[in-house]
Formats: sequence, C-alpha cells, structure tokens
Amino acid sequence: MSARRIYFVVSILVLAALPWLIATPYWRGILVLCAMNVLLALSLNLVIGYTGQLNLGQSAFFGIGAYVSTILVKSYGWNFWLAAVAAVGAAGLLGLALAAFAVRLRGHYLAIASLGFAVITYQVLVNWENVTQGVRGIYGIMPPFSHPAALFYLVAGIAVLVYVLIDNLVRSPVGDSLRAIREDEVSAASLGINRALWKAFAFCVGAAIAGLAGCFYPGFVGTLVPDAFNIVESFTMMAMVIVGGMGTMIGPVLGAIVLTFLPELLRGFGELRLMIYGIALTLVVLFMPGGMVQAWMALRARLR
Amino acid sequence: MVALGLTLIYGVLNQINFAHADFVTVGAFTAFFTATRFATKVLGLPDTGAYLLSMFAALGAGALLGLAVNAAVFAPLRDRGDELRPLIATIGVSVLLENAQLALFGPIPYQFDSPFARETLRIGRIFFSAQSVLVVAVSAAAIAALYGFMRFTFLGKALRAVAQDRETAGLMGINPNLLIALTIVIASALAGMAGALLGPVLVLSPFAGASVIVKAFAIVIIGGFGNMQGTILAGILVGVIEAFTVQYLGSGLIDLVVFAMLLLMLVLRPTGLIAERKEENV
Amino acid sequence: MILRAKEISKSFGGVRAVHNVSIAVPENSIFALIGPNGAGKSTLLNLLSGIYQPDAGSLHLEETNLIGLPAHRRVRLGMARTFQKIRLFRQLTLLENVLAGFHIHQDAPFWEYLVYGDTGRFREEARSLLAFVGLEARSGERAGALPYGQQRMLEIARALATRPRLFMLDEPAAGLNAAEVDFLLKRLEQIGRQGVTVLVVEHNMDLVMNVAHRVFVMDHGEPLFEGTPREVQHDPAVIAAYLGGEFAS
Repeated sequence: MSARRIYFVVSILVLAALPWLIATPYWRGILVLCAMNVLLALSLNLVIGYTGQLNLGQSAFFGIGAYVSTILVKSYGWNFWLAAVAAVGAAGLLGLALAAFAVRLRGHYLAIASLGFAVITYQVLVNWENVTQGVRGIYGIMPPFSHPAALFYLVAGIAVLVYVLIDNLVRSPVGDSLRAIREDEVSAASLGINRALWKAFAFCVGAAIAGLAGCFYPGFVGTLVPDAFNIVESFTMMAMVIVGGMGTMIGPVLGAIVLTFLPELLRGFGELRLMIYGIALTLVVLFMPGGMVQAWMALRARLR
Repeated sequence: MVALGLTLIYGVLNQINFAHADFVTVGAFTAFFTATRFATKVLGLPDTGAYLLSMFAALGAGALLGLAVNAAVFAPLRDRGDELRPLIATIGVSVLLENAQLALFGPIPYQFDSPFARETLRIGRIFFSAQSVLVVAVSAAAIAALYGFMRFTFLGKALRAVAQDRETAGLMGINPNLLIALTIVIASALAGMAGALLGPVLVLSPFAGASVIVKAFAIVIIGGFGNMQGTILAGILVGVIEAFTVQYLGSGLIDLVVFAMLLLMLVLRPTGLIAERKEENV
Repeated sequence: MILRAKEISKSFGGVRAVHNVSIAVPENSIFALIGPNGAGKSTLLNLLSGIYQPDAGSLHLEETNLIGLPAHRRVRLGMARTFQKIRLFRQLTLLENVLAGFHIHQDAPFWEYLVYGDTGRFREEARSLLAFVGLEARSGERAGALPYGQQRMLEIARALATRPRLFMLDEPAAGLNAAEVDFLLKRLEQIGRQGVTVLVVEHNMDLVMNVAHRVFVMDHGEPLFEGTPREVQHDPAVIAAYLGGEFAS
C-alpha cells in the first residue's frame, strides 16, 4: 500500500471515531461546523489557489445554497435531497453567470466585482422579504438527520468525497491547465488553453461546492438569517485557505480545522475570535505566504 | 473623499487598501473622544473649537495608521510583485482593526454630537444641517487641494511619475519608497478626517467602515482605478443616484442599485468612466 | 506557403505599429523577421499568433482564415510561439511547464480525470523535450529558479509540446551568451529539419545569417526588404535603416 493510501485510511478511521471521542453535543456541533468549513475552504481554494482568481464572493454562493434548499423544503415541501440538488444547481448556475463576465476581469477588478456580487446577494436576502423573511429570519429548520453524529458523518463524508475528486482533478492534466492559467494567462493561451472556459469552470464548480455546503448549514443551526452570509464570511473562508496554504490540497483542510477550533478554545475572549482571523491572515501573508504547509516543509527540511 | 484616498493609493501603488475604510472609523472614534473627553473636559474648549481640534486629531490618527500599514504591510510585500498578497494582507488588517475597535468600544453605536449637526441652514425652502454643508465644503476643499497638489507641485509631479513608471522615476533621483509612503499617509489622513466629518452623520460603530468601503470601491471602479477626475465624477454620480433611489425605490435598495451599477460598469467599460486604454502588454 | 498575411495593419492610440504588411512564409523554411528597435516585429508576431487582432488585412494559415480567431484556437491549428519577455509558469516545475503544453492533445474523457487523476500520459514525451533543450536533469525544479538562458530554452520546449507546424519565436537569443546562442542555433536547425516551419524575430544578426533561409526586414511598421540573408546584407536600404536606427537609439 502506498503512503497516500495509508494516510487516507487512517484519516477515514479518525473521522469515523471522532463523534464518539468528542461526545458532548456542543463539540459534536463544532465538528459538523468544521466539516462544513473544510468543504468551503476546498471550494474557495479551487478558485483562488489553483486558478488564481481572487474571489471575494464565495459567501454569496454559500448563502444561495442555504436559502434555496431551505425555502424549497419549508415553503414548497420538497424532499431535502431534491432541494439540495436544486440548491447546488442554483449556486453553480449563478457562479457561471458571474464567471461569464468575471473571466474577462483580473486581479483587483475580479476581487471587487465578486465582492459586489456578495453585497448584492446579501441585500437581496435582506430585502426580498416575501421569500427570505428578510432580517427576521427563517426559524425551526430541521436537519436531514437528527442525530448529530449522523449529520457529521454526512457532511464529513461529502467533504472527503469532494476532497478526493478535487485532488484527482488537480493532479490530472486539467490541474496543469488551471495552474498554468494562474501563473500566466497569456502564455497559457499560447499553449492552446481556453482561459475563459477553464476559469469559468473553476468558478462554477467552486460556487456549486459552496452551495452544497450551504445546504447543511440551516438544518445544523436551526435558523437562517442573511447575516450568516455577510462578506465577512468570505474573508474567514479566505483566511482558512491562506493560513493553511493555498494551492495545496491539504492546506485549506488544515486551515479550516485550525480556524474552526482555535476560536472555540478561546471563546471566553468574545470579540477576539475575528481578531484572530485578522491577525492570522496578515501575519501569514507577511511571513509565511505558503501557510501551514510551507511552514511544515521548512520545519522538516531543517530537521533533516 | 474616501474613494479619492483609495484611488490615490491605487494610482501610485497599483494596490488596494482594504483597511482604508477602517481608517475612517478610527478617525471618527479619535475625533469623538478628542471632542467629548479631551478638548471639552481637559482643555475646556467650547464645542466648536473642540470639534475643529478633533478633526485635526483624526487627521493625525489616519496619517499614523497609514504610516504603520505602509511599514508593516505594503513595504515588505511591494517587491514581490504580487497583486493578491497585499490585498489579502489588508483584508486581514481590516478585520483586525474592526474587531479591535469592537473590543475597545463595544458594539453599541455612539452618538457623536457635533456642534454643527444641531444647527440648520435654510436656503429657500430647503433645510440643510450645518454638518452636511461642512462635509461638502471640507471635502471640496480637500479634493481641490489634493488636485492642485498632484497637478502643480514638484512632489505631486514626482508622485505621478512614480505612478507611471516606478523604475524610471527611481533613476531620475526620485525616491519611490518615500513617495509611496507619503501617498499612503496623505490618503490615510484624508480617511481619518473623513471619519471626523462623517462621524456625526453616520452611526458611529466599529463596523461603520464596512458599509463605507464597499461603496468607496464601487465609486473607484466606476470612476476608473487610479483616475482622480473619474473618481470625483463617479462620487458625485453615485451620490445623485443614491438620492434618486431613496426618493423612488426606498432606502433599503441603495446598495443594490449602486452595486448593480458597478457590475454593469464592469461589463460595459471595465476601465471606468474616463477610460485610459491599456493593451495587454506582451 | 504555410502562412500568408495580406496588408495587415495595427495601430495603438493613433500610433501605427504595423502598417500594410504582407508576408508569406514558405513551408519547411526558417524565416527570419528583422528590423531596428520599434520596427513593429513583435507587434506583427502578436498579430500572427492572435494576441492582437489586426485593424485591417487578411491572415491565413494555409486555407484557414485566422482573422477573429483567438490565440488559443490558433494553437490547435498548429501554431506555437515563445515570448520576447519570458513568460514561464514560474512556480511550476520544468516538467509541469512542458506538460501544460500538451493541453490540446489531452483527449481523455473528463470523468477519467476525476477518477484516476494523473494519467501520466505525455510524461515521457515531456521528458524527451526537456532533454532536447538540455534540461532533463532539472525537470523537478521550479521554472523561476532557472538561469535566464535556460528559461528561454524551457519556453521553447513548452511550446514544442503543442506539436506545432509553424513555430514562432520572439527574440530567442536575447540575453544569451555565445555558447547558448550556438546551442539555440543548432536546435532551431534541428526543429526545422523535422518539418516544422520556423518564424523567428531576432536581433542577433549572426544567428539570422547562419540559420535563416529567407529574411524579411521591417522598419517603422512597414516592410522594407525581403530576400536571402546574403541579399539582405548587401541591400543599401537595409544598411541605412540599421545604421540610422542604431545611432538614433
């Protein structure tokens, strides 16, 4: 068995054991949250880390997934799974729509355009009260499984599946093309890579995965308010990707885990939670641009 | 004025400062505490004097912050030639500043009374608060001063030279790093002062910056990144459109309309109102 | 004739970078494009490769009309290029750089990538391309870490991965030392012998005179002369343009 396989099997076993090792309802909830954050970090990493598109609107797709699935279930009586498929589709389609012209934009322009998209989405959630209940929020949302361990298994299972698929994809020739676009768009085009197509592809897939994560959020929290999908959420997702190490597979996973648990451990300090994100983001960019993955590599090199 | 600071930084550095709007709130809080705690209580100044003093305090606070962010973030990252990194770092600074203020001042909005907010002026049948007149007047003066500075003084010309071509400007004996630091300080001081001006108009809370920044970005993009005339024009345009939106569609939709306009602008004319065409450089 | 441009023009903000240039590149030849600084050579190459679209004129690769076709589509027709200012994927390894060049030949169905990941296809061919430019030993290093001359060679290997029929190089010898120029010259001849038409924009006269079958001279965005290297060397107009250009710049 290769080292990869061994790591994989060990991770699965740890995941399976986790809800029984950490048995209090509160910490089980944090586990679910962590799995969801991993999913979000993976989705954003595909767009920022592998394709080099600075997308600050990921919170919007997360929100669209959450609202579409919840409204379909609550107002139209859809089955949860069917609603989830529709929600993922809606997030993906909107991602594609935004990508349709965002692919022509680069760097700062894309950052601001996606930020603008996130603001618009947030405003729609607040103002379209007939459908979204506005700031009053939607209450009494049931998760697809009531047992917290089952919910964790579901979300973690999906996160593992998504991880494996993206990992395969980025090691495949598609990954070569995406990274080529990230490094230099003009020379990517000079090799026959249709940059608009592949950028839109990454954007759309990233949006769909964020939408998928969004499907599980409302049932887990029980309520749904627009503030959960404020642009600050985009920033926290980005912090996870950067702190872990963007453009690597394991980095964003580690980033999501650390930045989910660290603030929980420091919960007594209130407002410090987001300050930690801010400090971590700035310091990592300044001193360790490759994130935790880079730090680990450096450490290993020194120990040898 | 906030947008102008952003565009100034962008024009010279080709970098976005996400924390810029938080300089505004820091400025506002500085002004607030200077006016209410220090000037009136300690120095025993009258209200008007206290407020004017607080404006300078805010200016100074903005300048100091700008200096700090330049030294900590922009300067070390400048030579790596990456657009994403400095942007992400300033997002970090922004989140940090917001929550530091939250920890210090709490989430409850402050009522910042300026002596001008209480007075109203009448022109014909329309009433203005003296504060809004002051905002417009000081902004106009600051914009005019900045414009004159960029256009006519040696330093201003040097700044524009750095914006055009950093290396060549460096060869001509201009110290680009010093000038870039200066730009950031000027822009940040402007932001601080804007905070003092806007404090009494907006609700003063640690997150007030967030609502300002997204709008400032919209203005900067609509005007064209780094283009001063465009930014001023776009600022006026957005103001007018906002007023109309409030009139006909209700105030809840302001951001929606402004950002729809932004997206439209990005589709139709990504280079801004007054376009400077740049071909892909190969 | 593999490539035929008729009276193509391109201006930037009123400046005529390329004006009324007609060019015909014969198949299986090494065709050099020379001229003083600012003559419009790079712009012409950008027009041919699709980075710019011309304001006027026609452009054909054999029978295919190239006007309006974006750069990445032209690659599928068998056109490849390198850049004057080197544009490598600097954070990627040498091997990854060359593998990205095989993009248009990757034809496995999408689900295979999702299920199997790295298919390992083209890996051997990529290695032999690296060997061809003398970089096989460094295939795992990052492209950005290479010395300048080797970066140029890597760019050539990467472009060759698209398996071009027409290979356009923009000043490949710029910044190379004498030994490196010599190596480049041999490689260009070898590429030409394999049935690839080579179009090279170049400043280095030694290289042009040694390797080119035909030479096209441009000045001020317009065609000045076309002929064999020997004819070019003795043409008074070319000599005048070069001397004038050299002293002026």
